[in-house]
Amino acid sequence: MAAKTDSLPLMEPRSAFTRASLSDRLIIALAIICTFIAFSPFGYAVLTSLKSEWKDGSIIPFLQFEPNLLNWQQEFGSGGAETIKALRNSTLISLGATAVATTLGTLAGYGLARFKYGIGNRNLVSWFLSQRFLPPVATLIPFVLMFRDLKLLDTLPGMVIVNATFTLPFAVLIMRDYFADLPPELREAALVDGASEFTTFWRIALPLARPALVASTLICFAFAWNEFLFASVLANRDWKPYPMLVAGSDTVRGIDFGFVTTRMLIAVTVPVILSLMVQRFIVRGLTFGAVKG
Amino acid sequence: MSNKEKRSDGTLKNNRAKYLFLMPGVIWILAFTLFPLVYSFGLSLTNYRLGKNPKYIGFENYAEILGIGDEKVDKKAVSTASFSAFLFLGSTAATLIFGTFVAWVFNHNLPFLRQMRAIVTMPLFAAPIALGWLGVVLFNEQSGPINNVLEGLGLGRVNWFIEPMPARFAVMFTDVWQWTPFVFIVVLAAMQSVPDDLYESAQLDTKSNWNLFRWITFPMIAPALGTVMLLRMVESLKIIDIPYSLTRGGPGSVTQTYVYYAYEKGLVGSFQLGEAAALAYLLVIVSIVVSSIYFYRVRERFE
Repeated sequence: MAAKTDSLPLMEPRSAFTRASLSDRLIIALAIICTFIAFSPFGYAVLTSLKSEWKDGSIIPFLQFEPNLLNWQQEFGSGGAETIKALRNSTLISLGATAVATTLGTLAGYGLARFKYGIGNRNLVSWFLSQRFLPPVATLIPFVLMFRDLKLLDTLPGMVIVNATFTLPFAVLIMRDYFADLPPELREAALVDGASEFTTFWRIALPLARPALVASTLICFAFAWNEFLFASVLANRDWKPYPMLVAGSDTVRGIDFGFVTTRMLIAVTVPVILSLMVQRFIVRGLTFGAVKG
Repeated sequence: MSNKEKRSDGTLKNNRAKYLFLMPGVIWILAFTLFPLVYSFGLSLTNYRLGKNPKYIGFENYAEILGIGDEKVDKKAVSTASFSAFLFLGSTAATLIFGTFVAWVFNHNLPFLRQMRAIVTMPLFAAPIALGWLGVVLFNEQSGPINNVLEGLGLGRVNWFIEPMPARFAVMFTDVWQWTPFVFIVVLAAMQSVPDDLYESAQLDTKSNWNLFRWITFPMIAPALGTVMLLRMVESLKIIDIPYSLTRGGPGSVTQTYVYYAYEKGLVGSFQLGEAAALAYLLVIVSIVVSSIYFYRVRERFE
């Protein structure tokens, strides 16, 4: 059930009306052009990553080559230790951040959907979301000093804290929206039966909110996975995540296009796949709920 | 919303429980968003450099950046801010126009559009730092496909990384390529909520696609466009990853954004944290203005 709801595409196509003056064929052609523009850079990167050396002289460089997996072997083989470690770091950091953000976000989201607070729920929601509006440098500078004093520089807990902080708004929003859409009678019935607020949340609301929980988890994971700026300052040795490896691609061997595109593709694969799975929640998540997808 | 009222008259037990749900998140935000922000403001009032003892200097950092009093205006702050303004206007406008157009194209009931739609959204989720590197390959002067295509079309090759204006546009194009899908999915959602009968009755008067768009679709999607525009504005002020990997801010510093400048000032080289915090704080003020407008617009949604 949960999986099914999740994989629902963004929205159902409407029974569009034939717009007489433009033929359907033209629309399809335009759609193909849009798709080509969106996809071709990735496609070009795939081709480039399959080349072991770049020949400047060839007339159609992206066709005149023999594909091979040398770049990929190198990334995971001989030079692989660094790659594997960075991927492990990215995974652990993103998992930790996702766990923290989703836990806090689920609790707060439930509270905001089910109770009324004195300060005003809309103020509280805005307050939770405002983090996304701040320029990251503004918090990054104090984070350096705080982490230095707390001995959190270049540690897993430090990176989890940072990433959980800026993914928390997505979790709060997605969970709040979902809980708010559940029928309130469920909670009231459970309370009448003598269940405590927490039991009601844990036994009734949370199991029903599984699709939102999945979406929140995947979105938080994808955003934490993409984070570069904080990592570049707060974790530049042992806990370097994969985007830092991508950022430093040129210092290893000059700019080797095959190498750069291989790393770039590894970096984008995870978030792109995860996000395609939760398209329906992405619109809400990214507009902070202003638009319901 | 009336049943919310009913639910709010909870018992004493309920009143205590509701704070327990909220507290962990609130404490987290206080500790890791609000406290750093206050800390940052405090720092901006000092001449702190890493390794030296900070001294309170009041608003001197701000005076130096803005050129108030005896100080000369910080030229680099102005030039990087103007590049950020270039992205703020250019990138926001371009993503809105392209995104709306793509949404219009995909708002037709035709085969394969749904599959293509998923592909069109892909750039949005890729790490910007990686897309900057992708740009390095694509915009390469000698062998990049963009120059190859331009030459093939008889337009000649462009020195994307050597000349200031092309370099600025390379950064903007990469950002626009990444964010157009965002506008697209939001606007498409808005277009799909326009009732069919509006079009049906309008078609009695006009057969022109443009008129249908201008008088039916556009007014109906305008609120969503406004929302998405504000979000794009905020995001465009935060751009740093793409120029960081695509151009390293060059040539010279013409593609350095304002945040990139603050980052460089405070966290690279001489670590002038006080000044960098002041630079960042000026941007915080701009962000607060834009986000206040945003939250004012969407406030009913969160009640």
